[in-house]
Amino acid sequence: MLQTVFTGLFGLAAIWFAVVVFRTSSMVRSALALLFSQAAIGAMFLAMQTEFLGVLQLTMMATEMAIMAIFMVMYMMDPGGLGGMDMTHQKRASQVSGALGGLAALAVAFFVGWGPIAAEVRPGEQVRGLGLEIMERSMLIFETAGVTILTAMIAATAIAIKRRGKE
Amino acid sequence: MNAVMAILMLLVGAYLVAVLEGWVSTGRLRPAGPITSGLALLGRESVVPRRPDRIFFEVAPPLLLVAALLAAAVLPLSPGLIVADLATGALFVNAAWVYVMVALLMAGWGPNGAYAMVGGFRFLGQTVGYSMLIVMALTAVAMRAESLFTTEVVKSQAALPNAIYQPVGFVLFFLAAMAVAFLPPLDLPTAPGELAGGVMAEYTGWRLAVMRLGRAVLVVTLAAAVSVFYLGGWLGPVLPPWAWSALKTLLVAAVMLLLGRYVPRLRETHVLEWGWKIGIPLALLNIFYVGVLLLVV
Repeated sequence: MLQTVFTGLFGLAAIWFAVVVFRTSSMVRSALALLFSQAAIGAMFLAMQTEFLGVLQLTMMATEMAIMAIFMVMYMMDPGGLGGMDMTHQKRASQVSGALGGLAALAVAFFVGWGPIAAEVRPGEQVRGLGLEIMERSMLIFETAGVTILTAMIAATAIAIKRRGKE
Repeated sequence: MNAVMAILMLLVGAYLVAVLEGWVSTGRLRPAGPITSGLALLGRESVVPRRPDRIFFEVAPPLLLVAALLAAAVLPLSPGLIVADLATGALFVNAAWVYVMVALLMAGWGPNGAYAMVGGFRFLGQTVGYSMLIVMALTAVAMRAESLFTTEVVKSQAALPNAIYQPVGFVLFFLAAMAVAFLPPLDLPTAPGELAGGVMAEYTGWRLAVMRLGRAVLVVTLAAAVSVFYLGGWLGPVLPPWAWSALKTLLVAAVMLLLGRYVPRLRETHVLEWGWKIGIPLALLNIFYVGVLLLVV
């Protein structure tokens, strides 16, 4: 019962902060509101006892959104929102697609058979089960792809850097 | 009960760290210093700068304190004395520390001051420099413990503390921990003498007191983390477990503060350059080395 209440509260917080993202005209506020929306989702995971996902969400989003904030400050003409710039566009289309998307998500939540819910799962098994669920047989392929992309990133940076002493 | 004990220990630790910091930076030992300066701050007017981003300005100091407290919650003082023994403890600590950066970013943007903003964005850059070192060093620690429980991590060091088992990871984590707490050679966001206090420049009165308290608690949690992950936490002969934890934590904090006295402040570019060009390759090597030790030896 308490679990449901907290999950719901954090869910509402996530939605509220998501609304704030578009209601404010300050870029930094917008980015940090998005961060707190994502952090509320992390808290939802924690309330649902999926500890690993929750902590991961909280960690990843903080850095990502903060870095997004700095890019938004760099690229937008009015990062502090003092000029009253309007960030929204294509209002009708986005309203319709937003409403449809929300209905579709609700429909999925209610009409999908979620199967039996485990009463108690040991943390280690939870992470293992999650990994198998997401990647299944492709675990090795994903891992290899990750290392390959990292290598490519390092190589690309190395090529892009100008040699010292050469023009 | 555990939570009350932990908060009391943290407060005592923060007080001792504040005394140590004063001693290291001024050369005079003043045991009552933190109390008198704290009271003085509380008695002073807390000025709000012109046209601030009010929400960020108000939220930043408590958020810094809360982030430090959350990190402390998963670090054990003795086998039974831990607020929350999470299955993802070693990862949760990192999640809490990341919000230190969010707090400083807010404190930088909020007051609408040039020095503060430079300080806040500097710390964001510093985060890019140190965060991988923290996570990668902890990966090697978790590999040895085969668990992310902080209590299991301590138990895994019964035979040999991680500081000796994986010295490279220890040094990297130690330096990265100093960067998290923005301690002197890495105090880029505050940078007294250059940024006039940076993120703390526009704060006065009780808001500054909360911020300084948060910083002191943060230093304690980082020292405690070094002791838990690398120095065997509560393990040790003769003395009771909590005393070992406290001793090791204080010793680490003292070394961190002392380093700052003798090393000049690093440049932002150097922090990033050395972090990525030297730190990350070393951290990867450390993971490999620990893997070999675990599988072969």
